[in-house]
Order: sequence, then structure tokens, then C-alpha cells
Amino acid sequence: MFWNLTVQGSANLWFAAFQMENLFSTARGADNVIYERLADGNYDIKKTSREHLEQFGSAGLRTLCLAYRDLSMDQYKSWNEKFVQAKSSLRDRDKKLDEVAELIEKDLILIGCTAIEDKLQEGVPACIETLSAAGIKIWVLTGDKMETAINIAYACSLVNNDTKQFIISSETDTIREAEDRGDPVEIARVIKESVKQSLRSYLEEARRSLSNTPERKLAFIIDGRCLMYALDPALRVNLLGLSLICHSVVCCRVSPLQKAQVTSLVRKGARKITLSIGDGANDVSMIQAAHVGIGISGQEGMQAVMASDFAIAQFRYLTDLLLVHGRWSYLRLCKVITYFFYKNLTFTLTQFWFTFQTGFSGQRFYDDWFQSLYNVIFTALPVIMVGLFDKDVSASLSKKYPQLYQEGIRNTFFKWKVIAVWGFFAFYQSIVFYYFTAAASQHGHGSSGKILGQWDVSTMAFTCVVVTVNLRLLMSCNSITRWHYFSVAGSIAAWFLFIFIYSAIMTSFDRQENVYFVIYVLMSTFFFYLTLILVPVIALFGDFLYLSLQRWLFPYDYQVVQEMHKDDPHEYSMIRLPERSHLSPEEARSYAISMLPRENSKHTGFAFDSPGYESFFASQQGVCVPHKPWDVARRASMKQQRQQPQRTGRS
Amino acid sequence: AASPAPRSARAPSLPESTAEAAGAGRAARGVYRGPERRGGGGVAAAWGMMMDGSAAGTSNGGSGADGDAARRNNTRMPKYSKFTQQELPACKPILTPKWVVSVFFLVGVVFVPVGVVSLLAAQDVVEIIDRYDHACVPPNMTDNKLAYIKNDTISKECTRILTVTKEMKQPIYVYYQLDNFYQNHRRYVKSRNDAQLRDYKKSNTTTSCDPERFTADGKPIVPCGLIAWSLFNDTYSFTRGKENLTVNKKDISWKSDREHKFAKNVYPSNFQNGALIGGKKLNSSIPLSEQEDLIVWMRTAALPTFRKLYGRIYVDLKANDTITVRLSNNYNTYSFGGKKKLVLSTATWLGGKNDFLGFAYLIVGGLCIFLAFAFTLLYLIKPRKLGDHNYLSWNRHPAGR
Repeated sequence: MFWNLTVQGSANLWFAAFQMENLFSTARGADNVIYERLADGNYDIKKTSREHLEQFGSAGLRTLCLAYRDLSMDQYKSWNEKFVQAKSSLRDRDKKLDEVAELIEKDLILIGCTAIEDKLQEGVPACIETLSAAGIKIWVLTGDKMETAINIAYACSLVNNDTKQFIISSETDTIREAEDRGDPVEIARVIKESVKQSLRSYLEEARRSLSNTPERKLAFIIDGRCLMYALDPALRVNLLGLSLICHSVVCCRVSPLQKAQVTSLVRKGARKITLSIGDGANDVSMIQAAHVGIGISGQEGMQAVMASDFAIAQFRYLTDLLLVHGRWSYLRLCKVITYFFYKNLTFTLTQFWFTFQTGFSGQRFYDDWFQSLYNVIFTALPVIMVGLFDKDVSASLSKKYPQLYQEGIRNTFFKWKVIAVWGFFAFYQSIVFYYFTAAASQHGHGSSGKILGQWDVSTMAFTCVVVTVNLRLLMSCNSITRWHYFSVAGSIAAWFLFIFIYSAIMTSFDRQENVYFVIYVLMSTFFFYLTLILVPVIALFGDFLYLSLQRWLFPYDYQVVQEMHKDDPHEYSMIRLPERSHLSPEEARSYAISMLPRENSKHTGFAFDSPGYESFFASQQGVCVPHKPWDVARRASMKQQRQQPQRTGRS
Repeated sequence: AASPAPRSARAPSLPESTAEAAGAGRAARGVYRGPERRGGGGVAAAWGMMMDGSAAGTSNGGSGADGDAARRNNTRMPKYSKFTQQELPACKPILTPKWVVSVFFLVGVVFVPVGVVSLLAAQDVVEIIDRYDHACVPPNMTDNKLAYIKNDTISKECTRILTVTKEMKQPIYVYYQLDNFYQNHRRYVKSRNDAQLRDYKKSNTTTSCDPERFTADGKPIVPCGLIAWSLFNDTYSFTRGKENLTVNKKDISWKSDREHKFAKNVYPSNFQNGALIGGKKLNSSIPLSEQEDLIVWMRTAALPTFRKLYGRIYVDLKANDTITVRLSNNYNTYSFGGKKKLVLSTATWLGGKNDFLGFAYLIVGGLCIFLAFAFTLLYLIKPRKLGDHNYLSWNRHPAGR
């Protein structure tokens, strides 16, 4: 008889296996979690395992510790009662479960540790490099050991040898000594003190470095245990300050909850837009805490994907998602929103000017149906086309110039200034629409000497508004497809079609037939045609002047890029992925390594990993893999790092 | 491996076991093979996965040949179209100096002649304007104009002498112009009933005609409403020396109004019967469609200063002709400080003496030509190489973050 029971406990996951009378529970988890719960004694195996863990970690492997504990049936039963109770409690269930788990997850006996090789997905370093160039600050929040995490950071070009690293680690001598003494309160005090001191000194150092050598990259690395204390409200300000100065931040050995805490720290504390991307169930809280959550679907299950706003299949598609589609969406949204402001403002203001000349009686300028259909039919479709199709630069150029993304980070296209410019021109145009039409309609028209009435003038003005507003849209488009032409021409045609029909019919309903025959009367005069050309041209004159001057004197980045590539042939399939038929030397190498017999794990799903394992396993298999310069450099830097925390510990 | 055939076909040199082992490494690459085979391009594959996580999950799960075979039958890749893939051919206009200058120049070149022609047309028009509301009040009543206009016993007859400044070819249009008269006031505009005007069966319909719906004894007024009630009632007659200049009052309203909005079989009734007389009385034996003064009046004006056509004189007038106008100054504009003017005007193809359009065209055209030169100058003085990468913000401030 055999069954096992899995409980989501504080040590990631633990399960108890029962075999009749012989009961023991096993636990697996990150080394820091397991080590806290080990029984006294067995220092040899603990020490050896710790050494192994560090060794594996530097090699970039993911490590886990295994431990077990003997349980008697009675112990189990009494515990199980509490567990069932906790499991079925309605309030604070998670907390109670943790408490109950705590009861049994103690005095564990270490079995040993495991190390798992975990391949970095294709294109991750390149992707991260591109995103950094786009002005996106990258934080790595990982459950891996610090050594692994730093390796990953190297692999992803987040950290290089010139980077100044600020490391806050709980693996320092002072803390270890305190741990050996075994008093938890003492341990906490020591860690807190050391975190506090290092944060303060690092912050000063970082500020100095920023003012003296601003081009030097800074990296901040902290582990989960220290992060717990650093997230304390008293230290949070320093933590945030330091993190924002640093170019990249690596948090290792962090729990899912801490991932979320860090995310909301940045989100709320720094008031920045945050994006979380992850593939595992432990990323869910972080994905939900960020403004934008992205799940990578893969081997680790669907939890991340289901919790996310966007799901992608591989990490590197983040480049496309952000730089191409994210940027386009931003541009389109800005354009659509500002245009909506504009078109309604310019239309409504004409009505407003008219009110001044009606003795403030509130007489409407336009016929009711004109007003109702203005947003629904006459100006609806073109702006949707812009929302669907507008592209400032092609997808490939978006990725070629990742810096273009910064326009979005700075919110260049939805500043008050931009809205004010649109508002100003809406104001100007409305004056043109109202006063110019009104002034031009004075006195007799045509050789008949007949006079136009109020509805003739308003229909004239409305025609000008519809034509202008639609043409203005065309002016602000960066790329004009046939759908743009179709919708703009269609909208204007829809207006004429509508007014031809509307002013030709009379109904038996009791309503005022103000615009009956108005358009035909209007179209029988030269005034109509002269005004129809004059007013839109004058209305758009201001916008055209502004756009010309702006483009020449203060061009936006995307405009310069447009100019640089204006003679490029049209690329219609721009997002096409690179051809796979010819392997680059690097790919060939990774292919050779994937051929190694032992490596038939199906693991491809982890987001972050270091290509360094290749050489690790390869060397064990006797396959010669040439070391890359950064591999060597990284190893060298690892040695330094192991000493560095000690130094900070003493200071 | 369930179906090793396609796999070994691609990698024939690999032994079976290694091929399987390579599954993991290949899985990611396999994802792109599918769409390529369909000739749709890699884009769709990338998007399919971006939008649909579960589809990606199966394909990325990539346990070798199984995945490959399943993928072929069980893809959720959306159908390729240029529309959905945002690959529609597009024109990408860029406001280069060439474009800016040529647009300005083109507009200028078109607008200036149009402006000149319109202006000339407006200049040809001869217009005589005479404000008479003030002058027609007897000298002893100028302090109390309201008493004068309300007193029926005082004769409202008035004579004005006009001198023709320039030769006026027939037809000469006679307008009256009112200032500060808010025909576009909300309450005024809605105080009419169109159904009543065009359908004799609906003569009882007087909705929205307040406050002129019924007479004191409850009979419906036709035409009802404030607009009709306040119908302008000054009259003019013109003589040149001894010669009587007849004013033709036919066809002064728009044809559509006459034929469709005002019916041939609706006659005025109970009109201006109340204690408060607003304006002209109508001959109740003439149908509304022939009451052209009413029709003209009821096409309400857009602005508080407006002209209405009174009639036409089919006589050529020579310069320095003196015209005697006999008018009856009945209409009360004194109570609201309005002005009344009599206008004699000729017309051209463009209409009356309105040089607004001409000036607007001329000024805008001139401005555009000026700007064409100004921009040419700007491009010469402040040159910028098109697409100069030094203008990119990250090149301007290299540290820029």
C-alpha cells in the first residue's frame, strides 16, 4: 500500500510517502529553505552539500536540496488532523496551512542535493540586449542560487566585466556565524543590520559613480533572504533608490511572493510601467502584480499563461511583442484618442461660436441628424483604419532601432503638449468653419439674388467640417493603405449621399423640415463650391504649416528613421523569422551538444539559463567545446564574487 | 518515436536514438517548419503562438516526431491574409521639403487667380445702402421712437432720395436689411409648424407654435408661430423722376419652398387677429405658396444681421440718377434697437457684393506663395540632411536615458 500526499508548503513542495508502518516524509526545496529546517548534527554532509551547491551554482546549474524525516504513525495522525483542519478552514487558509506545514517540516535530515541543467531559450541574450537598448530596465527575479543568477545575468548581457556589481548576500561569514549560533532572533538582527549597512553604503557609492562616471554600468544583486529585510518599510526607500540607479537588478532565491512584492515596489514606489514575464507557476503572482503580465507557454505548465495578459511561446518573441506590436499599438492609441478629441472639439466649437450670435439662446447650429450621425457614420471608419493599420516604421525597422521604443517610455505622443496642439488646431479650425462660412454666405448668391437661410449656412459648414476632419486624418497617417482611401472617401461620400436623400424627403411626421432641399439650393450656387474648396484648405493650412515646421526643425526619431529608409523597397513580410536551413557556428555547436546521449531531458521551457552548462556537461562527456571569452571572464569574476560578500559582511 | 519517417528524412545521417534525443533541441525549430511548408511565411507562426498560448504549448512541447505529426493536422494557425497580418501595401507619405514647397506653391497658384476673379466679380456689383429707420422718425418724435411706431394714427409714410453712384444694369435687387434682429433665436426658430404650411388638412396642427397658436377665442392660426407673426411689413415703391420703377415680387423665394413647403391650397386664417400685431397681415384669399414675402421671411437667417429679398426692378439705372423711395416705415425695430436698411444691388454670377470669398482666396493664395518661398529659404538657411542619423535623439544625447 503506497500513496503520497502533496502539500503546497513553505518549502516549495513536500510530500510524505507512507509505507504501512514505516513512515517518513521527504522534502525538497531550495538550499536556504531546507538548511533552515535541518536537524542538528551531520555537519559533514551539510558542509559537503553546501560546497557542492556552490560549485553547481557557479556552473550555472539549478540546484535543489533533498531531505527526509522519520515519522511515527501517531505523529503523522496527530499532525494530519491539524492539517485537515487547516485545509478546510475558511479563513486564512494559506497562513494556517503554512503553520501546520511548519510543524512537520523541521528536524529534517539532509539526503543531498541535485543539480539540473537548464538550457537557455534561443535568442534570450539578444532579446534582452535589444530591450535594454530600447530603454527598458530589466530586473531578473529568479529562484535560482545567486551564482546561477549571476551567470544568467552574464549570459543575458545584463552584467559584463565592466559592470560594477553591488551584491547583498546572506552567505557572508557574519551571517553564517550567527546561523551557527542558531538563535533565530539573533540571525534576523544580524541580517537586517548588514542589509541596512550595505544598502546605505551602496547607495552612496552608486550615486557617486553616477555623477563621476555616468557611462559605467551598475548592477545590483540581492538574494531573497536579504530582500525580505530590504523590503522592510524602513529600508524600502534605499532599496528602490539603489535599484533605480542601477542599470540591472538581479534578485535571486526569491519566493513567488517576493517577486510580486518587488514588482509592486517598482510599480507603486517608482511609478513606472512594469512588465512581468515568466513561464512557471511561481511567476503567477508577479505576472499579476505587474501592469502587463506575459506568460511563456512551455514545459512548466499553463499557470503563467493563464494568469497573463499576453502569452508568447518563447522569450525572444518579447522583442516583437514590445518593440513592434507594443509600439504600434501605442502610436495608434495615441493617434486615435487625440484624433477623437480633435474631431469632436472642432465640431462642437462651431456650434459654440454660433451660440454667441443667437443671443445665447442655445439654438443648435446643425440639424439633429447631422449631429447624431457625425460620430457614427461621417467620421467613424477612417479613424478605425488608423487604429488598425497605422505604422510609422516597418516591423524590421522597429527592431533595428530599438531606441524608437523610448518615445513610448517618455510618452512622447500623449503629452499635454501634443493634446494642446491638437486642441489648438481644433479651435482654429472651428473658427474657420463657422466664421468663414457665415461671412461668405452673406448677401445674395447667384444671379437670382436670393438669400440663404440659417440651415443653408449650417449645412455648408457641416459639409466643410466632414471634409476637413476626414482629410486631416489622412494628413496624420504614416502609412496609407487602400482602406484609408476607401474609408475617407467613403465617409465623405456617405455624408453627401445622406444629405442628398435627407433633404429630398418629407415625412408626414410632425417635425421641422429645416433642411428640406437645402443641399440642392446650395449646390445651385457658386458659393457652395468656392467655399467647399476654400474653407477646408484654410482649416488644414495651420496643421500643414505646423507639421512641416515640426518635421524640419524638431523631427521625432521615427520621422528621421522614416527619412533614412524612405527609398527602401517595400517589405511586406517583415516579421518573417530567420531562415533555419543554415546553422551558424554557434548553433551548430549547441546542436552538437544537444546530441550528447545523456542530455535527453525535455527541458526547454525555462526562461533564464546560461549557455555555460554546455561546456560544463560537454567537458564531463569529454567533448571539447571551445570556451568563449566571456565564459572565462565569468568564471574569473565568480571567484571575486565569492570573496566580495565576505568583505561587505565585515564592513 | 511514433513516426520517424519525416524526421529521418530531414536528418538522415542521425541514428534513431540521437534523433530522438535531438527532439528537444529541435522542437523549437520545428515550430517554424509548419508554416513554411504551407507557404504562409513564418509570420503567421510567430503570431499564432503569440496570440494563442495553448497552441504554442502543444507545438513547443516538441517531443520529437509525435509533435511534428500532430502539428501538421492540428494547427491553430490563423489563415494568412495581408489584412490580418498588417501587410497591406501602403503609401508612406513623408513631408519632405519638396512636398511642402510644392503644396504651398500649388495652392497659391490655384487660389490667387480664383481670388482675383471672385474679387473682380464682387467689385462689379453696385450697391446702394440706405438706413432709414432713424431718418423716418418725425423730428419731434426722435426721443420717443417707440411711441411713434406704436401709434397707428401717425402716418408712417416716408420719402428717401437715393443717388445712383454707378451704372446699374437690370435686374436690380431690392433687399431690406435688419440689424440686431435674432431670427436665429432658439425660441423663434422653432415657433413654426411645417406640417400646417404644406397640408390644408393639418391646418389645426399648431404644435410648437407657442405663443402664436390660437386666437383669443381658440381658433388655430394659419400660419402659426412667431416667425410668421413677426413678418416684415415695410413697403417700398420707387420712382425715377416721373417714371415709376415697378418692383417685381415674383420668384423672390426659393422654388423648393414655394412648391413643397408652402401649399397651394392653404390659405391664411385668423392671422394677425390678436391684440398684439406683430407685422404684416396676409391676404387670406391668396394661398401660402404665393405669399412670397412670407416664404422669404420664413427661411430664417443665420446671423442677427441679415438681408431679405424684397423684389426686383427690371430697369437699368444710370449713374447720378436720383431715385425717390416712398416707404411705409411700419416695422418696429425700435423696441430692440434694431436697424433697418434698404439695399439696392446688382448681382453677378457669384452673387451680391460680398468680397469676402475673393479676399480670402487672394490672401490665402498669397500667403501660400509667400510660404513656398519662405520654406525654400528655410531649407536653404537651416539645411538638414534627410534622414541624418545625428538627429536621432539617442545620438543627440548619447547618455540619454
